Amino acid sequence: MLKALIVDDEQHCIDRLERLLRSSTYNIKIIAYCKTIDEAIKEIASRTPDILFLDVQLGNGTGFDLLSQLDHIDFEVIFTTSYDKYALKAFKFSALDYLLKPIDNTDLDNALQKLRQQKNLKETSQKIDILFHNFKESNPSSKRIAIPTVAGFTMLDTKQIIRFQSDANYTHIHTLSNKKITASKTIKYFEDILDDNTFFRVHKSHLVNLDYIEAYTKGKGGHITLSDKTRIEVAVRRKDELIQKLRA
Amino acid sequence: MSRPTQKKYCFLLIFLVHFLGTSQINKLDSLKNELKANTSKDTIRAGLLIELASELTYSEPNKGFSLIEEALAISKKNTWIKGEALAQRQKGNLHYVLADNLNAMDAYQKALVLSRKIPDKQLEASVLSNLGNIHADLKEYDQALQNYRAYLETSRTLGNRAEEIKALSNIAIIYNDTENFEEGVSYLNKALTLAKEEGNDLFIAAITNNLALAYKNLGEHQKALFHYQEAMAMAQKIGNKYIEASALNSIGKINLLLKNYAVAETYASNALSLSKEIGAVEWEADSWEVLSKVYEQNGKMPEALNAYKKHIQLRDSVLNEEKKSELTRKEMQFQMERQQAVANEEIKRQQLAKIIYLIGAIFFVLMAMFGYYIYKRRRDALEKKKTAEFNAKVSETELKALRSQMNPHFIFNSLNSISDFISKNDIRQADDYLVKFSKLTRAILENSEKKSITLSEDLELMELYMQIETIRLQNKLHHQITIDQDIEPNNTLVPPLILQPFIENSIWHGIAPKNGDGHIDIKIEKEGDMLKYVVDDNGVGQSKKNVRGKKSNGSFGIKITKSRIDILSHIKNKKGSVNLMDKPEGVRVEITLPLELQF
Repeated sequence: MLKALIVDDEQHCIDRLERLLRSSTYNIKIIAYCKTIDEAIKEIASRTPDILFLDVQLGNGTGFDLLSQLDHIDFEVIFTTSYDKYALKAFKFSALDYLLKPIDNTDLDNALQKLRQQKNLKETSQKIDILFHNFKESNPSSKRIAIPTVAGFTMLDTKQIIRFQSDANYTHIHTLSNKKITASKTIKYFEDILDDNTFFRVHKSHLVNLDYIEAYTKGKGGHITLSDKTRIEVAVRRKDELIQKLRA
Repeated sequence: MSRPTQKKYCFLLIFLVHFLGTSQINKLDSLKNELKANTSKDTIRAGLLIELASELTYSEPNKGFSLIEEALAISKKNTWIKGEALAQRQKGNLHYVLADNLNAMDAYQKALVLSRKIPDKQLEASVLSNLGNIHADLKEYDQALQNYRAYLETSRTLGNRAEEIKALSNIAIIYNDTENFEEGVSYLNKALTLAKEEGNDLFIAAITNNLALAYKNLGEHQKALFHYQEAMAMAQKIGNKYIEASALNSIGKINLLLKNYAVAETYASNALSLSKEIGAVEWEADSWEVLSKVYEQNGKMPEALNAYKKHIQLRDSVLNEEKKSELTRKEMQFQMERQQAVANEEIKRQQLAKIIYLIGAIFFVLMAMFGYYIYKRRRDALEKKKTAEFNAKVSETELKALRSQMNPHFIFNSLNSISDFISKNDIRQADDYLVKFSKLTRAILENSEKKSITLSEDLELMELYMQIETIRLQNKLHHQITIDQDIEPNNTLVPPLILQPFIENSIWHGIAPKNGDGHIDIKIEKEGDMLKYVVDDNGVGQSKKNVRGKKSNGSFGIKITKSRIDILSHIKNKKGSVNLMDKPEGVRVEITLPLELQF
């Protein structure tokens, strides 16, 4: 049995989650619900929950403020939010789990399923570290990312990544230190997360870090040479946009 | 002994005026008197000045120049072109007798130009003849002949007999000089006939003498002798000692050749004394030679030697003179040639410069045209690109506006549907429905911002939408989505939710009013470089329910979607289309779009 703590400033949201958890097949006990950050800090300290359902927008702050005030995090965190693009992106970077409100029964079950598979709590702490690192880091090219692998997660600075190469449902990540990490996600997953001006999908199978392009050679689509001397083909339809990005 | 000597025995008729003798002195005095009386600077004075200079030609040519300059000045001032031309010709004559061929030619050329300007044919012809004399001196026989012929032609046309005789005679001299004696004789005979008709004894004497020389050169000694005798008699008659001396000398030479030594001696002696009298050194030398040979034949060796010595002495002095004049002539020829060469060079240079300028200009014009062409093409391309970019931007904005219109349209349609659903169903089902609806709404809000999404993403949305509608219609609705094998859903880009209004239309107005199950069949095919959606429903069809395609919300969505497809077609420059057609049961919608791939 897992002890769950719900933090949300709206009663109807708490009620809905409570109702869904009760009818869930997973054995979860709600030990408390809090509506403010202060309340939550006290409850976490005294009740030591296993799972924290944390709303992003709280009346007097955010769920992140709450986490930042804790010395250590020795519980799982599942964020809840109705619509916050900014927060969603942050979760994806750090591979933290979240539920969209109104919460769907199936989504909740999936989240709990994943939670049960989670190997240790240290991972969650690391993910939250990434979250805070990315909040503090204003430079988009030096964000940190949690990469889901078959074994678990690998944490990487985005500036360590030279390129991503698609391999069906897996993606190989080539780093500056010449390491190859195989992620258990499609290349599209990374393209969506890294949707800024640092990475560019030059080809169906290639997502590259624009900072490491050493040369572009003209051709039908042409190709690029990266700092690790690999030559990557550029798709004809991506050529113009690539050149535009390289000029910018 | 060659041509230079021979030439001395023939008489260029241009000089004949000189032989008119002492009567000239009276004329000179009378001219001088007239000039003194006529001091006003008019054409009469100019005429007198030219005439006086002409009279002075052979006696005191140097005095003639000042007169000519005055005549030129007066003529120019009074714009009397003929006077100017006459003065220039006389100036040429003066230079010519002073053996200054270069300046002579210059003056003659000016006279020629002026005579043509008047125009005065006779004057022009006579100037041509003067020029011919210079050419003859320079041994440019072709040129000389050409000039003389023009002179002859003009004189004949104008009926000027004296000039005609001169021309014929001069032509004959050229032929004789070029050793074409037959032709020379023929011309001389023509001239002689005319001279006799005219009764001009001087001309007769001179031509006869020349004719005799030609016969002598032809070796016809008897004919030569006969003509020399005639010339001598005529010369004696008119008192022309030059011709007489020349004839005597020649008769002596021929008799020597014919070995009539006594006769030869007589004539040579006569010729000698006459030559001495007129100071004709060359003939003197010739006479001494004849005498020397005659003495030699008669065995009078000392006399022969003495005569020979005299001959050599005189001949050498003549030769020196000749050499000197030959040298001058050569120098002059050289100078003229050099001037000509320089002039030719200058003409060539100017022509070359002209050609270079022309080529340069053509090149420049071509370059300018080419440059303009390039500039224009570039400018046009840039403008085209800018226009295209602008149009694309306008189109994007329009599309965005249209897409954003879709959202409220969709949301409020759905809210109506939820309200309907809640009023008919239990809370649990309503909640389930609502959660799905919120997911769909979220997805639509996210995706409708995008220009295009992948076909697989779009179909996911459609699937979600159909599921919701299926719940609402209490499972009365079935659907199937089929994708052509040669389409890669992950690599194909489509405008988000382009099908939604048509499906909605089918559901609300086709299947909902229908009794029994409804079916929607969506097929996606590739047609060349177009993507084709075919949506079939088995609903009540268009005709039965007039609302469809009219004022319903469905029609609003369809209208917007049609506009979107039009703009997309415009951007891609391909013809997209929307077709709604009735079937026996239900409606078919066909939408074609430009196929766009991500990679």
